[in-house]
Amino acid sequence: MEDKRYWKFFDELQDTAKSEKLKQEEFPEGLKSDKGFEQTQGINRRKFLALTASTAAIFATACSDYRDKGSIVPYNQQPENIQIGKPNFYASTCTSCLNHCGILIKTREGRPLKIDGNPDHPINKGKICPIGQASILNLYHPERLRKPLKKNGKSFNELNWNTLFTEILASLEKASNNGKIVAILSQPIFSPTFVKLIYMFQAKYPTTKVYTYSYLESYSKEQAWEEFYPKAKLSEFDFSRANVILAIESNFLANEGNFVRNIQDFVSKRDINRPNEFSRFYSVETDLSLTGANADYRIPLKADFHYEFLATLLNELLKRDLNYNRAIVEKIQGKFSRFNLEDFASKAGVDIKLVRNLIDDLIQNKGKTAVIAGDSHFYEVHLLCLLINEVLGNSSIYRICPQPSLPKSKLFEIEELVTLMNQGKVGVLFNLDTNPVFHFPSDLGFENALSKVESVVSFVEFESETANRSHYIVPISHNFESWGDYYDGIGLFSTIQPVIEPLFGTYQKEDFLLSLVQNKLERGIYHKYLKSNWQESYFSQEKYAVDFEKFWHSVLHDGTFELKQTLINDYTPNFELFDKIEHRFGTKDWVLVIKKPYFIGDGKFLNNGWLNELPHPITKVTWDNYAGISQSDANRLGLKNGDIVELGYGKSKLEIPIFVVPGIPSSSVVIEAGFGRKESGIVAENVGFYVGKILQFETTKKGYIFEKISLNKINKSYQIATTVEHHSLNDTFYSELHKKRHIIQEGLLEDYKNGKYHIHRPHELKSIVPEIKYTDVKWAMVIDMNKCVGCGACIMACNVENNIPVVGKDQVLRSREMQWIRVDTYFSGTAENPEVSFQTMLCQHCDDAPCENVCPVVATVHSSDGLNLMVYNRCVGTRYCSNNCPYKVRRFNFFDFRSHFKNGLLYKDTYKLANNPEVTVRSRGVMEKCTFCIQRITEARHQAIAENKPLRGNGVRTACQEACPANAITFGDMNDKESELYQLRNHKLGYYVLEELNVKPNVTYIAKLRNKKSEVGA
Amino acid sequence: MSRDYDYTIEAPIIEQNPSHSHINDAIARPLETKPTWKYYLALGISTSMLLFGVVCWGYTFYYGIGMWGNNQPIGWAFDIVNFVFWIGIGHAGTLISAILFLLRQRWRTGIARFAEAMTIFAVITAGLFPLFHVGRPWLAGYLFPLPNQHHLWINFTSPLIWDVFAVSTYLTVSFVFWYIGLIPDFAMLRDRTTNKFKKTIYSILSFGWRHSNRHWHHYEMLYLVLAGFATPLVLSVHTIVSFDFAVSILPGWHTTIFPPYFVAGAVFSGFGMVQNVLIIIRKVFDLEHIITIDTLEKMNKVILATGMMVGYAYAIEFFIAWYSGNQFESFVFINRALGNYAWAYWVMVSCNVVFTQLFWFKKIRRSIIPMFIIGVLVNVGMWFERFVIVVTTLSKDFLPTNWASYIPTLYDTGILIGSFGLFFTLVILFIRTMPVVSISEVKGVVEIFKKQH
Repeated sequence: MEDKRYWKFFDELQDTAKSEKLKQEEFPEGLKSDKGFEQTQGINRRKFLALTASTAAIFATACSDYRDKGSIVPYNQQPENIQIGKPNFYASTCTSCLNHCGILIKTREGRPLKIDGNPDHPINKGKICPIGQASILNLYHPERLRKPLKKNGKSFNELNWNTLFTEILASLEKASNNGKIVAILSQPIFSPTFVKLIYMFQAKYPTTKVYTYSYLESYSKEQAWEEFYPKAKLSEFDFSRANVILAIESNFLANEGNFVRNIQDFVSKRDINRPNEFSRFYSVETDLSLTGANADYRIPLKADFHYEFLATLLNELLKRDLNYNRAIVEKIQGKFSRFNLEDFASKAGVDIKLVRNLIDDLIQNKGKTAVIAGDSHFYEVHLLCLLINEVLGNSSIYRICPQPSLPKSKLFEIEELVTLMNQGKVGVLFNLDTNPVFHFPSDLGFENALSKVESVVSFVEFESETANRSHYIVPISHNFESWGDYYDGIGLFSTIQPVIEPLFGTYQKEDFLLSLVQNKLERGIYHKYLKSNWQESYFSQEKYAVDFEKFWHSVLHDGTFELKQTLINDYTPNFELFDKIEHRFGTKDWVLVIKKPYFIGDGKFLNNGWLNELPHPITKVTWDNYAGISQSDANRLGLKNGDIVELGYGKSKLEIPIFVVPGIPSSSVVIEAGFGRKESGIVAENVGFYVGKILQFETTKKGYIFEKISLNKINKSYQIATTVEHHSLNDTFYSELHKKRHIIQEGLLEDYKNGKYHIHRPHELKSIVPEIKYTDVKWAMVIDMNKCVGCGACIMACNVENNIPVVGKDQVLRSREMQWIRVDTYFSGTAENPEVSFQTMLCQHCDDAPCENVCPVVATVHSSDGLNLMVYNRCVGTRYCSNNCPYKVRRFNFFDFRSHFKNGLLYKDTYKLANNPEVTVRSRGVMEKCTFCIQRITEARHQAIAENKPLRGNGVRTACQEACPANAITFGDMNDKESELYQLRNHKLGYYVLEELNVKPNVTYIAKLRNKKSEVGA
Repeated sequence: MSRDYDYTIEAPIIEQNPSHSHINDAIARPLETKPTWKYYLALGISTSMLLFGVVCWGYTFYYGIGMWGNNQPIGWAFDIVNFVFWIGIGHAGTLISAILFLLRQRWRTGIARFAEAMTIFAVITAGLFPLFHVGRPWLAGYLFPLPNQHHLWINFTSPLIWDVFAVSTYLTVSFVFWYIGLIPDFAMLRDRTTNKFKKTIYSILSFGWRHSNRHWHHYEMLYLVLAGFATPLVLSVHTIVSFDFAVSILPGWHTTIFPPYFVAGAVFSGFGMVQNVLIIIRKVFDLEHIITIDTLEKMNKVILATGMMVGYAYAIEFFIAWYSGNQFESFVFINRALGNYAWAYWVMVSCNVVFTQLFWFKKIRRSIIPMFIIGVLVNVGMWFERFVIVVTTLSKDFLPTNWASYIPTLYDTGILIGSFGLFFTLVILFIRTMPVVSISEVKGVVEIFKKQH
């Protein structure tokens, strides 16, 4: 092509020097003064303007509130392995509960930020529960104890570490010299090194006795197991191998056993691509638990009828051909022949067809069924479950439970300890981060007994009911500041390593105890001890090609270490037990079922705002526990949600508000324990009701089900904060709306397999504006409702990742919770026996997002990769976007919630460190919502650019996806035809919520399939 | 009295055939005498209400919108209800002064000035709400198309931006129209006053008006042009305000009937308010022969007519909800009438549709106390109409898990009271500083002068 020359004036055409000069200068001569600014004399126009501008600028900055907000000190010398702005990940072990999941701690510039499961861990496989994730908030909690304290009358005095150490050492020596007992009270110990340390401690102080217990443990399950299978270690079911599951008041998907693993196993048999492998799940329960809500068939049955139910079931099973030892069958049959199905069904009001169906299923899948009773159930119920499993040959799908390194104490041993304390025989009591005053029922008298002990030393992170009654309080380090190890007794080790220096100069409890053995307080001493123990006990046992340091670092790096060993469990049953078994029969009396709480552990996490605000999976109640009762009882007694009733058990009384829970049978009360702490800091102030008042220690030995309860209405009421409005299921105007509106779509597995099941799809809708084509990466998500069990792990992951503030109960009452992702629970059917559907709801990132066109200031826009973005800086907060969002997933900062909550607790010193530096902390008055973890997408894009590769969708994982124990969430590029996301998005079970609005959402839901028989209860 | 029977002759607009000087005296009297204690009492009450509102808003400014009852999903509540309510009140003024002027409805002269002033005060009051209701009011400037170095611009597809233009245009035009009408009166007051201070102010305000023929010629021309200019605005403002709702996708908001329905409702409530305040003014300042009972009756007829238009809209909304077969839409309307906010709905229907039917009776149309009560009820009803539209729609939309209820707080109520305080404070200050009736126009409609031509 010809290279044309363009000219503006003749000089340029002639290319003279003058034209060159003209081109270079911005203004032609004559338009500017020929002198420079500095050379001008006096004040002229330009100088005047310049001076005015600079003066204005100086005053403007001087008057603005741009104070120095603290100094930034860069690294003088860059530490090794730390790259500014890049996270480091360290493997460790979670100690929030006894499951000891493997975790991966994300740190940035030496600051732990987020906890995820360790993908290399064979048990939890990269997943972790909400408590584990939220434990980061406990690390940074401003109310953590910082200085050792000594009791002085009613208050405490601070003292220094050395004085504390000498005084405790002296009292220990005094006790052992006087032959008085040194009692150590702890949670069950799974650390082999710590147990060694305790043996050393016992060697030095020979009167030492160790008591371990865990909250709400009745030991009836262990007792039944030990008596029935005397030679076998305690085992649990592998649900990935169970075709039929029958749960009796069991919450194995939420808080019993290693539920993170249970969820993974359970949903492995809920894969829409393998419809023939679906398991069928029956749940018989009083409470509507998260587990029961996931059942294909749920049979609401009052807890005192459960024994009869199992006995009837057993009797019916034995009538069939079980191919089991005839003699034994006949012997048992004699014992249970009185339990007749017809009689039971009419007495307990159970659908007889359903029970027959269950029996058929159990028989057909013999050896691959799981009959499991809840941890808190009666001894006899556990025994019957074991027997049914035995006759069905289910021991083939058992696997051995983790075994504590030190045997757990029986409850009668705790009782003995209290007696010893009362007799003044206990000289020193070490409380290793437990809280017996709160945990044990008041009638045990632990509080009173504590006052008879010469010196009580509490090793705790936070103040507690027990710590406040101790003579010394030793503040201990958080798990993330400590060294440790874990052994499950059957071959799996995992390690605990610190990821941050102790924030408050505390010692880890093992350091302190080891120092007491060695008479000298020394920091880090346990670390050395741990290493030497590993070298001795594990490294030298095997022949490794590397030296110990390398071995140790590789164990720390992986976080886990497996010993190859063959596990043999001898399941030889002891049938003689049944000769003396006492039958239980259901009555018409009120029954109280005490359940483990979902999110606050043993009460330790009651001062964790995130966990308190995580809505209860079924009722969506936050910041409280309540007495769940049935709709019919509430109607009969004239009670509504929040009305306080007085429960009576024996002589004890408890006042607690009621909450109507669908699916609870009448004459039943269900309460979650662990709430109502009086001495645990300001977050837990007035949270819930203390059930320890009504419980009796003697009864808890047999289980946490209390018969012969009285319930009386008193004229008081209480406000319970829920995140959803509750409507009566019997109100036809409101009921089943989620099905009428096609929000929830579900059908029968049977129909799906026969090709009869169809998803509702509105007719093709056209848009009046031209469609935008996304040719490059376009982000989308699929949520499989067959897998989602509604556990809430995604909500917590999002809280941690995206700096979601805690708003407090008063704001939840005002319906202003801030969580970006939520799990909606819908009920259909009757209030007596509802069907439950869970739906995870988050920003749908609609292509034609209705929020975008109504924002007056363009603060919410669409990106070229299909994301609906929020520009916080630009947002003025008209809230129009939220009004126009059909999913109502936008969240508005009605206050600066961080300063609103408990007088700015979330702004107090260390709490701020918990914030993710990748995500803006939103100010008040702006709208926010799910971003599909844009910070992670951006990071992946940077990575792709740096590596000069195209950005692929598969590498990016959102926080909720990463956390989901069920792997129900898939995220990726919908234009990538090879991706899993693409397959699922175009699956025939996929649908959009509110598809007829034609907003073109980018979140696809996979319709739930229920494994019911069409002729039975479907 | 033949005029009661002979409908071919128009009834006189001003009664008792007052002389020029009498009109001057009657209207200028409040401006030239010392106010009584009653005036100070009224001013005291209204400024106290205003102060209460200012304090409540101050708290809101300091702590955030959380001081109000608004929540998730109810992002708008009293804030927008009050905004739409006051914009509605502001509708009567321009309708009376511009549209009725073009339609040669000469009975408007007695009330036009006052109605225009009320329009301006109501729009000022209303205009504060969109600015104050935002989460970060110090950034409300972002709502205006201000050029900036970030190249950030406003979103012309958002109805809120249309609002900004509609309301600010309406305020400007109404103000200019009102001010032009005031110029001859200011000149008259300038000529009457002996107070030097007042004279200076009135001189400046009257722009050198000399009552010359040329002045009058230009004045009449300009007034006509401005009336023509203001007329479409009467319709456009509330149409655009209704777009805030109609353009959204929510069932109960997304309705094509909204623009005419809102305009009718606005005229309805505006007339109710003008009628109410004028009843007091004419009594207090002895202007009963200038603002006559005939004029009030005509206003009542307008109230009756617009009230029925609003009633028709209520009915047609239900019909369309059923006829469309859209389950979300029918749910919303059944919920309005029978759900937890049904009481608000029935307050609205009874005040706006049922009670106004009493105006079919001439006796009630012409008796002061019943019409005053109905006028108050009209405004109660119209406030509740906006409440029903805004709050009940938001409280129960698509996904049942989103639903929540709205409970107003002290601050919500305080700001509502404060808005009345601001409005009445401005009204009370106005009646002491400017002629409440257009002196020059009234002179033109006195019978005795007409007959001389």
